[in-house]
Amino acid sequence: MANKPKIICVTGGKGGTGKTLVAVNLAIMFKNEGFKTLLVDGDSENPNTYLLLGGKLGKRESVLFFKPLINEEKCTKCGICADNCVPHALLHIKDSIPIPILAVCSGCKLCFKICPAVAIEPDYKTVGWVYNITIRDIDLLVGELKPGEARSATVIEALLAKVDNKINNIGEKYDIVIIDTAPGAHCDVEELIEKADYVIPVTEPTKFGLSDLIRINELISLLHKDFKVIINRSTLLGYKNQFFNEIKNLKLEILGNIPLDDEVVNSYCAGVPLMENKKAHEEIGPAYQAFLKIYETIKEWIKFEKN
Amino acid sequence: MVIIAVPSDGNGGLNELINSRFGRCPSFTFVKVEDKKIKEVKVVSNSAVGQMGGAGIHAAQLIGDNGAGIVIIGFLGPNAAQSLNALKIQIYQAPNKSITVREVINLYLENELPSINNANVAAHRGMGGA
Repeated sequence: MANKPKIICVTGGKGGTGKTLVAVNLAIMFKNEGFKTLLVDGDSENPNTYLLLGGKLGKRESVLFFKPLINEEKCTKCGICADNCVPHALLHIKDSIPIPILAVCSGCKLCFKICPAVAIEPDYKTVGWVYNITIRDIDLLVGELKPGEARSATVIEALLAKVDNKINNIGEKYDIVIIDTAPGAHCDVEELIEKADYVIPVTEPTKFGLSDLIRINELISLLHKDFKVIINRSTLLGYKNQFFNEIKNLKLEILGNIPLDDEVVNSYCAGVPLMENKKAHEEIGPAYQAFLKIYETIKEWIKFEKN
Repeated sequence: MVIIAVPSDGNGGLNELINSRFGRCPSFTFVKVEDKKIKEVKVVSNSAVGQMGGAGIHAAQLIGDNGAGIVIIGFLGPNAAQSLNALKIQIYQAPNKSITVREVINLYLENELPSINNANVAAHRGMGGA
């Protein structure tokens, strides 16, 4: 039996801490060592990994969401659909055709399944897309929520189904899967963490960073996942001492610190990931060195072996 | 002839106060009006009051089932508004004060109430909280 690839989820609670920076550069380092790498962008409201990789989105598949369509000729106006609809998304008045209230429809299809007259037809709307692309020899799956839609969980479900599909495809045999999440500690983030074997919350030494780290750690602990923290912009002054004291009090394990470094900003602007192969004459800065160290620590932590 | 539904306090009826919540009022008082006169009064307790969600939709269904063509409301959420519009039930806005069902029906009969089409509060207003 083929080994399943190890799955790492990069998350962090607070927005803008460098989750995508870490996820993309980890993927780059694994790829540079010749490992087959799958990167998953689960930040469906702001999917930006492709920008950091310096690529384009391209081919996509729609994520569809069920909505009931009532065939008025077949409908016997019995009201069984409305009586059994848990969120009350079907409005039924005696002797009239039910009216779907789509804003509250959960898409469960119960009405479609139980209609005795087979008068409810499945109709679908697009709530987002999943992109399946390759940039810099890294396979990238991206979930994108259609702006204005609220069903991000549906997009994440479709994205994870695609991940399973790719991992289980015998021809593809991945060595490592890296998942990037949205900020926050909500259900989309939970689903992505749940999928992983190891979790890396990325935070920064600020009050916000600490507060949101505590929240995300609660979520990770609820899911019983092994995790270690990365402190990005670790040399940022102001709250640093209190921050590191708190981390110590909370007994959180630190995977590594990434110091402030212009090279990170320059790599953003150039659209070339920091850890992409350097030319011989290029200088190696403190953030680059920090990433190399983190990469080695991760391989040791997750007992990484080539599949 | 038209039947007017009014969300009401307690056991409902003409002398009861109107309840500002639509989906989660304790009762609906249905008032049948003909030639600008009250002909008949009926009270139905609101089965949607304790529901987890969708109370506005359920309440719209309840007043539709009881043949109402008009509803007079205090606060109205988006799902309830959409449901009432779908059922083509006309919506009138009650004044923002303590007022009985009889008084508000009289205001309607004197053409003193503005008609509205859309929600005037966000979803879940009737569930309480700040």
